[in-house]
Amino acid sequence: MKKIWILACNTVKESFRKKTTYIIVLFALIMIASSEFFAFLSSTEQYKMITDTSFAVIEFFGFLLAMFGSISAVSSEIEKRTIYTLLTKPITRTNFVLGKYLGMFFILLINFSIMAVFFVGLLHFKKIPMDSGTFKALFLIFVEILVIASISLSLATFTSDAFNIIASSFIYIIGHLTGYGRQIIGMTKNIAVKGLADMMYTILPNYQNFTIRDKVVVGIPIPWQYVIIVTGYGIMYIVIALLIGIYFFRTREI
Amino acid sequence: MAIIETKDLTKIYTIGRKRTVVGLDHLTLEIEEGELFGILGPNGSGKTTCLKLLLGTLFPTSGEAYIMGKTPYDVSMKKEVGFLPENPYYYEYLTGRELLIFYGKLFDMDKDALNEKIEELLNLVGLHNTQKLSLRHYSKGMLERIGLAASLINDPKILILDEPTTGLDPIGCRDTRNLLIQLKEMGKTILLSSHFLSEVERVCSRIAILHRGLLLALGRLDELMSKYKSSNLEDLFVKTINEYDEKIKSQGVAQ
Amino acid sequence: MKQKIWPILLLALLLFIPLGFIQNQINYETIAYDLQTNLLLMPGEAGDMVLAGFKGIAADLLWINVENYWHTGQHFKMIPLFNMVTYLQPHWILAWSLGGWHMAYNVAADVKTVQGKYYWYQQGVQYLKRGVSYNPNKYDLYFELGWTYYNKGLDYSNSVRFLKQAVMYPCPSYVRDVLAHAYEKNGEINKAMEEWQKLLKTDFKGVAKRMIYDLKTRGWATP
Repeated sequence: MKKIWILACNTVKESFRKKTTYIIVLFALIMIASSEFFAFLSSTEQYKMITDTSFAVIEFFGFLLAMFGSISAVSSEIEKRTIYTLLTKPITRTNFVLGKYLGMFFILLINFSIMAVFFVGLLHFKKIPMDSGTFKALFLIFVEILVIASISLSLATFTSDAFNIIASSFIYIIGHLTGYGRQIIGMTKNIAVKGLADMMYTILPNYQNFTIRDKVVVGIPIPWQYVIIVTGYGIMYIVIALLIGIYFFRTREI
Repeated sequence: MAIIETKDLTKIYTIGRKRTVVGLDHLTLEIEEGELFGILGPNGSGKTTCLKLLLGTLFPTSGEAYIMGKTPYDVSMKKEVGFLPENPYYYEYLTGRELLIFYGKLFDMDKDALNEKIEELLNLVGLHNTQKLSLRHYSKGMLERIGLAASLINDPKILILDEPTTGLDPIGCRDTRNLLIQLKEMGKTILLSSHFLSEVERVCSRIAILHRGLLLALGRLDELMSKYKSSNLEDLFVKTINEYDEKIKSQGVAQ
Repeated sequence: MKQKIWPILLLALLLFIPLGFIQNQINYETIAYDLQTNLLLMPGEAGDMVLAGFKGIAADLLWINVENYWHTGQHFKMIPLFNMVTYLQPHWILAWSLGGWHMAYNVAADVKTVQGKYYWYQQGVQYLKRGVSYNPNKYDLYFELGWTYYNKGLDYSNSVRFLKQAVMYPCPSYVRDVLAHAYEKNGEINKAMEEWQKLLKTDFKGVAKRMIYDLKTRGWATP
């Protein structure tokens, strides 16, 4: 456990010294601030649009941070060959994967908090009403980002960067569409197709579960029970992704 | 029992779907405690493959490898091993000192012992003045030396060095050689691979010559020299390899 | 000397089974708490945004077009957009209420014939009714309906019907005030009186007092 912590600290240090994350976060903040652009609308309309845009920006840039962060956390070690030395130290490969993920967790937590605080500050400044729903939506966006990070990290242990970027983005889009896919599949009668589709539906992460921001913005109450069970789903998915990552990393020859 | 041991260690790389390349062919070695053992061979002869198999970054196709009687997957074994990779690259965003702290922490060293050790090692490799410089600005020789310091951070019983003198100037080479002798006198077992012949000639107690993954010669330097009737290591090296190549060629013709 | 690591993969795959159950529970809850999203594929910008899961943004982009059409007087072009926006986000009440208002008032005003005006007034009312069916637990759209019947259609019995429902949910005082006026216009003076008396305890005290006074002295309060 201590070794995972040391590896995580090093990952966080790397992220901060490389400064690429700053740029992404800065971009996100500019985008959030630019929702001021909706000022030509009436105030009620403006509220919705500012919150909509900000949520979307936070999620999208969170996705970018999670994907590129996880990929670089693993592949920079491999490409720069630092991993040769690292793996001859008394750490297991499992330690390595978990340490990297814990590091990503802190990196994302810090960057997400910056964006979230900025967003809440903007709402407060513009006197836009907030309720617990706003925070529930933010929280679930964060869980979603953690799931994205675990998938990218897991893929990074056995694929090339380019493939990983394509696969992660693809999973991100598909993950938002599985719900629709299911609506369509529900209409087919072919059992084989249906079974296959159901399997895909279970295996692919269902990011739509986390997307309650559209509901929160129009004032639909989100029960805590829903937030908890979706968080459970997220944690479960992270565990699965990391196990797969550990499996492939342990079979990988460096 | 030998401190480092390989039994029929074989590694076959698969390239593409059908092509295979033999990286290491049934290597059986025993290295005793306190030895300074050199693995020699031209580029692509399987030296690095052998070291990587011992350390568990590669997985053998068949055969076994043990360090202190433990398999390469045993983490407790790694506590007693220091490794210096070929062309070492380190986290360029860290400073020299931070790098040593990072590795030291992975060995569960407590703060005071670690600081003491770091001071000692920085003086040993002569990087005391540049310890606060980030590794991005280190020269190749400095990287090699900080790498050596990093491999010694845990005061290992066994030191495995992959091409420790590439990239060093003659003075650096001499310093490294002296350091190796010093370490050997301290009772450490050292396994090094090299194609930098003159260096190895002077320090190794026993050598193994690898070529195309095969062990061609193994033994004390003077024994081998008299066996192959050569006056120095370079001569010995070239002779064994040429002998093998000719044998292969004639077999190929016979077939 | 091979490591035994397949159990890790097996464990990962087995964990998909409980994950499936969790997903089922989530699906159940999305239905129970009305968190579902509708399927919609559209060409162009908005469609792409929907695909990537940015439904709110898609609705916003369409809404900006609505605003544009309105300010440039192209009222008819707004109508398909209203339908799209409310399809994407049926719980966005502002879209329903503004849409209904645009149809019943602005579009109807553009039409020259009497039948045409009546047609668009009806369209607005129907649109609001659809909105009510999606948002039955909020006062907003009941009030919009009631107000449209009252103010545009002069259909007081229907106005009373919806305003009565509006005041069943938490709402600002003016809703009850309009209900009282509608009662009066519908000939139910006593009920109007009751509503204003209820308003005496609220911030509408002043208005209510005057109305009650007018009603008692003149017999009518609403001009």
